[in-house]
Amino acid sequence: MIKVNGEEMEWHPGMTVKDILEAKKFIFPMIGVWINDKPIPRDKFETTVVNDGDDVQVIHMISGG
Amino acid sequence: MKRLAAYSERCVGCESCMLTCSKTWFKEEDKELSRIRVTQGDSGYVINVCNQCGVCIDTCPTLAIGRDAQGVVRIDESKCVGCLMCAGFCPTESMFTADNKEKPFKCIACGICSKICPPEALVLEQD
Amino acid sequence: MDKMRLLARWEYKPVNIYRGYAGRTLYVNISNFSFEERPVSEDMKEKFIGGRGFGLKLLWDAVKDTTKWNDPENEIVISGGPLCGITQYPGSGKCYTVFISPLTEQTYDSNAGGYFGPLLKFSGWDALEIQGKADRDIVVFIDGDNNRVEIYESPFEEVNAVTVTEALHEYFAEDEEDKRNISVVSTGKGAENSYWGCLNMSFYDLRRKTPRLKQAGRGGGGTVFRDKKLAAIVVKKRGIGPSSNNPADLTTLQRVGLKLHKEIRDLDDQQNKMRKVGTPHLNEIMNEYHLLPVHNYKFGQHKDASKIHSKVFERIFTQGIPDGCWYGCSMACAKAADKFELKTGPLKGRKVTVDGPEYETCAGLGSNIGVFDPEWIIEANFYADHYGLDTISLGTGIAFVCECYELGFLNKEITNGLELKFGAKDDIMELIHRMGRGDDEFARIVGLGIHRMKKIFAEKYGAPSDVLENIGMEGQGLEVSEYVPKESVAQWGGYFLTLKGPQHDEAWLIFMDRVNKQLPTFEDKAEALHYFPNFRLWFSLVGLCKLPWNDIEPADNAIKYKGIEAAKVPEHVQNYVDLFNAVTGKKITKEELIIQSERVYNFQRVFQLRLGRGTRKDHNIPLRAIGPVFPDEWEARSDYYDNELKAAGIDPENLSTEEKIKKLQNYRLSQWEQLVDAVYRRRGWNKNGIPTIETLRRLGIDYPEVVEVVKRHLKPEDEWES
Repeated sequence: MIKVNGEEMEWHPGMTVKDILEAKKFIFPMIGVWINDKPIPRDKFETTVVNDGDDVQVIHMISGG
Repeated sequence: MKRLAAYSERCVGCESCMLTCSKTWFKEEDKELSRIRVTQGDSGYVINVCNQCGVCIDTCPTLAIGRDAQGVVRIDESKCVGCLMCAGFCPTESMFTADNKEKPFKCIACGICSKICPPEALVLEQD
Repeated sequence: MDKMRLLARWEYKPVNIYRGYAGRTLYVNISNFSFEERPVSEDMKEKFIGGRGFGLKLLWDAVKDTTKWNDPENEIVISGGPLCGITQYPGSGKCYTVFISPLTEQTYDSNAGGYFGPLLKFSGWDALEIQGKADRDIVVFIDGDNNRVEIYESPFEEVNAVTVTEALHEYFAEDEEDKRNISVVSTGKGAENSYWGCLNMSFYDLRRKTPRLKQAGRGGGGTVFRDKKLAAIVVKKRGIGPSSNNPADLTTLQRVGLKLHKEIRDLDDQQNKMRKVGTPHLNEIMNEYHLLPVHNYKFGQHKDASKIHSKVFERIFTQGIPDGCWYGCSMACAKAADKFELKTGPLKGRKVTVDGPEYETCAGLGSNIGVFDPEWIIEANFYADHYGLDTISLGTGIAFVCECYELGFLNKEITNGLELKFGAKDDIMELIHRMGRGDDEFARIVGLGIHRMKKIFAEKYGAPSDVLENIGMEGQGLEVSEYVPKESVAQWGGYFLTLKGPQHDEAWLIFMDRVNKQLPTFEDKAEALHYFPNFRLWFSLVGLCKLPWNDIEPADNAIKYKGIEAAKVPEHVQNYVDLFNAVTGKKITKEELIIQSERVYNFQRVFQLRLGRGTRKDHNIPLRAIGPVFPDEWEARSDYYDNELKAAGIDPENLSTEEKIKKLQNYRLSQWEQLVDAVYRRRGWNKNGIPTIETLRRLGIDYPEVVEVVKRHLKPEDEWES
């Protein structure tokens, strides 16, 4: 299990940040991702693997004017 | 179309072009006021000067930028409002700004620097 | 156009703009054609800064406690602010229009882009105050080149924005190029026939060779405008340049502006694609997150939303034109559809340039009324601008009408032949034209707004009041803007604990609250409802657009900063501090920026109180805004809502859908009351939502007349227990 924004989510080996965003349908382009308090650059979402037990924060920037 | 072609591999970094340019167009020798810039790269000198690509023309809100009869991209200062979008969007960063200068400036292919460049790294070319 | 008949002329001395200020405001009384130059004091600059702040201050001095929106004493006050008109930084041409609103019956302030704000200031005026009513339609012309104000008899048979604006740019320009030195404030017949009148503010597009219209959309400013018999306000000023504001530090302006241009150049395409698509980049995103209003906010998603996906509009908008609504805006989001052939109405067959649609119009005059036809939306947008109708109030208002029709509260007899169901494109377009013509009783009733429609539908047509109250999406008399707030407690506050009504000028917290889950406690929500309205409204004081604040962010923003800090986009906040100091020569900090805004926020709160509103009971919230009202809304997301009930400690098993709805409503209403308490407390207000004397003192707005208003309403039982 991993945590995404405080909620539990099923984990599978090889799961990437991109997988999480797709599963959650987080399509907003201005997203910040932190895993265990470490920031992940946007261009590394596809290649960054998430480990079992990780605490993931997905932050959407507000926008909208 | 007329433009100043730069052959960086010939450049020896003497900076005569920068001083001549600023002296000609701003009446003082100051590299910050030159429309051609020479910097030190990893393997030699790098010359940055406008290649008259014209991308800036489409960024200008007052139609202050256009091509003259020889195809050189020129700013009409009477229309320029100093918004610097041209400088911001220049793909080669060849539109320059300076302290105490309200409006940006660029190479207009006058050729004066090419005349005094010792290794002939600067050549006025006509396509 | 024939030469206009001059009715009055007033000459004034030119001034030099210094550090962003002209140092005086222009007062024009159109009842008796008198003019005054009014000085701006240091205290006024210190406490009210400019823009909306100046507008509120001038309006406060001009009206009585009992002044109504259509009394001659009501004013239209237009002001930009000290940063308005700088050319180097994206989004620097905004101005605010302040007035007493026909919809909310208290102050409203509405912002618009275009060139009017800068040209007004550089003509020598920090604000324009118009009071009184003319005895005939007039055109007010502020001639900044010749330092005079002229009032003309309006030559227009019919006052509608597109034709009036085009004609006046033509009339006052010496040649084509000169047209960019002119800006026209205009509205249309829809503003005469409804309370949803907007104000259009123009700028001339040299490449398209046509004026473009930006809108001060909300609150009914256009209705006040036409009530005063203003046909148009025109300003002209040549020779604006990089130092027109006489800034203290031009180099910093250039440095910060150039930095933003490059940031936008490098990152806009990967972020929000504002330069290609503008605000409609949100269309599919809002749909994905169940935030796109569908069928009067019943749902947040629709299977046809792909028809109004941003890529559809990207194809329609002409690409590659610098679409900033003031010089130097590289965010360039003022997109337009060109050579669009109108299919209906008085200009049928004409090929026009249409400004927009913005996201709000795609949703309001689209998904919310069940229409997913992009060309229809564009045509509706055009006529709304031309007739001077706020597309948001129009959209949300018509959505209410459609639901009433579908529920059987209205019928063809009442609507004079229109079958106003969701998605009824042709009939809805005809309704808009009827609002423009003013020849239909039902269309007039619709245009009074949801708040009044509820009463009329109950009294005249026997519709059940309680249902209308639950589904009428308005707050304080203003229609809600186009985001579904139901699932975010913070956004209930973001819409319904506002100064002027449910608009998103103040706060947009849905992601932060429900998606990021960054505001778990009421105190967290209250803190966000303190910081963000104050930060966002700061732009209204200085003449800036807030879109370049967070519709683009530095590449390392979400790396360097975490969570809520990242959402503030700290580097951009610092840009704004730097810009303010560079123009004015002052040395404010990020913290002082918030205080500047908080000061005006509380002044406006007291102003609302002075006009008979501004207390807890005025912060109403319809049930549709906090959750499902009818079973189909619950069933559309039954797993989600059942979980919501469980999270509230209520077992959904064996409950009917109606029972579940009721239980969730009761739970959420109690959450609402807790939110209100937390927010009022954080803002330094008492339980009744009134600023305490201590708060007024802390902010330096404890002027005798302000304290006097508050003292009349303070009660000991409204104080917080310590």
